[in-house]
Amino acid sequence: MRAAWVLRTVRRQAGLHRLTVLAAGASFFLLALLAGTSRLGARVVARWGGLVGQNVHLLVYLGDEMDEGTSRDLAEILRRVPTVAQVAIVEPTQAFARFKTSALSFGADGKTVETLEPAYFPRSIEVRLIPASDLETRADDLAKRLRGVPGVVQVDAMGAGLSRLSAWSSFGKRLGAGALIALALLDVVAFVAVFVRLRTALARRAAVLVQLGETTSGIRLPSGLWMAVAAAIGGAVAATTLSLLWRPLVARIEHSLGILGTSPLPALGRAEVATGLAVLIAFGMALGCFATPVPQSDSHG
Amino acid sequence: MRPIAPASALRNQKVSAAEHLAYDPFVLWLEGVCCQRGGVPVIDTVTFGVARSELIVVQGEAGSGKSTLLELAAALRTPDRGAVWFAGRNISTLQQASLPFVRRNIGYATTDPLLVLEDSALDNVAMALAVRGETPRRALELARDALAWVGAADLEERAVSTLSAGQKRVVALARAVAGPPSLIVADEPGAGAGDHLRATIVTVLGAARDAGAAVLAATADSSLADRLVELGGRRIHLEQGRVAGAPAVGLVPDFTPAPTADLPPVALTPVRDLEACVEGSPARKGPA
Repeated sequence: MRAAWVLRTVRRQAGLHRLTVLAAGASFFLLALLAGTSRLGARVVARWGGLVGQNVHLLVYLGDEMDEGTSRDLAEILRRVPTVAQVAIVEPTQAFARFKTSALSFGADGKTVETLEPAYFPRSIEVRLIPASDLETRADDLAKRLRGVPGVVQVDAMGAGLSRLSAWSSFGKRLGAGALIALALLDVVAFVAVFVRLRTALARRAAVLVQLGETTSGIRLPSGLWMAVAAAIGGAVAATTLSLLWRPLVARIEHSLGILGTSPLPALGRAEVATGLAVLIAFGMALGCFATPVPQSDSHG
Repeated sequence: MRPIAPASALRNQKVSAAEHLAYDPFVLWLEGVCCQRGGVPVIDTVTFGVARSELIVVQGEAGSGKSTLLELAAALRTPDRGAVWFAGRNISTLQQASLPFVRRNIGYATTDPLLVLEDSALDNVAMALAVRGETPRRALELARDALAWVGAADLEERAVSTLSAGQKRVVALARAVAGPPSLIVADEPGAGAGDHLRATIVTVLGAARDAGAAVLAATADSSLADRLVELGGRRIHLEQGRVAGAPAVGLVPDFTPAPTADLPPVALTPVRDLEACVEGSPARKGPA
């Protein structure tokens, strides 16, 4: 069969099986969307993990009487505590800079913020503990002990925030995974339906072509091609949708949650999109080819 | 009468299909073919050939093995014993993947034709020509001619699903003769047809034969067989899977090799595929 005839068959078959083509395109769109969302979702969760409170579990505010050297000694002692992962001293200028960024991102008046002085902010020590299920208890214990240290004005164990954050984080992850699994199952059902419908629709055509002397690859090629086209279109629409909607959506969510990130929002790279599309097209081609049943006409006796 | 040996010897040589037909006129040659169904012999040691520009009508009662014989001729079935030669190649020993290259040179029409129901009659006929490698424009042109030939020009654009059983058989006949191919195999071509259509069928098969095709038709209807014989066809009686009357060798007509230039042109382009395929793939270990 010549290429011109194959293209004609592709066009006509796609026209004859419009519903199946649409269903296939939608299934490929959903598949690409799920894959892209999972990949981007994982990156956003990682970003949030790094951003939320900068992974600080304990804030130790120091009084004016504690000089820089003593602060460093206290930080050094804290570093030696077995459950402590990281300790950092935040100077008043750093604290002021952070406050300014936060205030401005929430729409505060710039002039008012400028009137504040860095010296207003106390020196503090940020403590990050090694993550474990007893994180809250350990943070409370350490806070109790630090409150007795001379020069320490206040200790914030962030108990309420930590437990809420961990609960929300776990709930969010489960919800996200559940939604993705449900959509993936729905997509599998859609693909099975497309496969069965295609198989039924193409069975007779395949039998006719076998009798007329078409080769197996010649019989399967048209359906493989138009499924590949459906996959390419579905994948391209999904990639466009993600590139247009993902960043504004995540920015909106971050804004509503009060999460402030300085790094750019994650997006899919060109190579990732190209690889994804190639995989999707190959999958479409294979689905179309294998959905076409080729009966064995030759038999003995 | 002539012995089979020289022709058989020729068949084993590496010659092109066109060269082969210049020396051996047989498009199809069945040699001692046997076929069983469920352990019961349906075809029993049948030997005969169909030369190009020849019309053979196989006449026999229902259950005599006509349809099975035609399936063997159309490369849709492989014999349990014996050999089926097409254009000088023993197709009984071909691999499954090579058989399509043989089938595309054969127009096959049955009483219960396989057609793509959602396609138009024109597309169904053109499909056979497209498989043979014709361009879409040429395939549609030849398909229109074939439909006009069988008196079904008015059915061109109609979807096959909207046609009656008789009209479907006419479309299948048009598909079988479109081109025409090297070999036309028609199983009960006149079944359920009225007088006018039967006359058309006889005329079309005769015209295809005159255009250089080898025509093999099978029917239980003696009046249709008579009309085909009157047209210059040869009759073979099939009884319980055996050729009745004369021995197989007696069916072979006298033949004197003629120079290629004297032979009428036959559409053999698709046979090139067969040659390439046969030469490119190892022969299957077929039945004895």
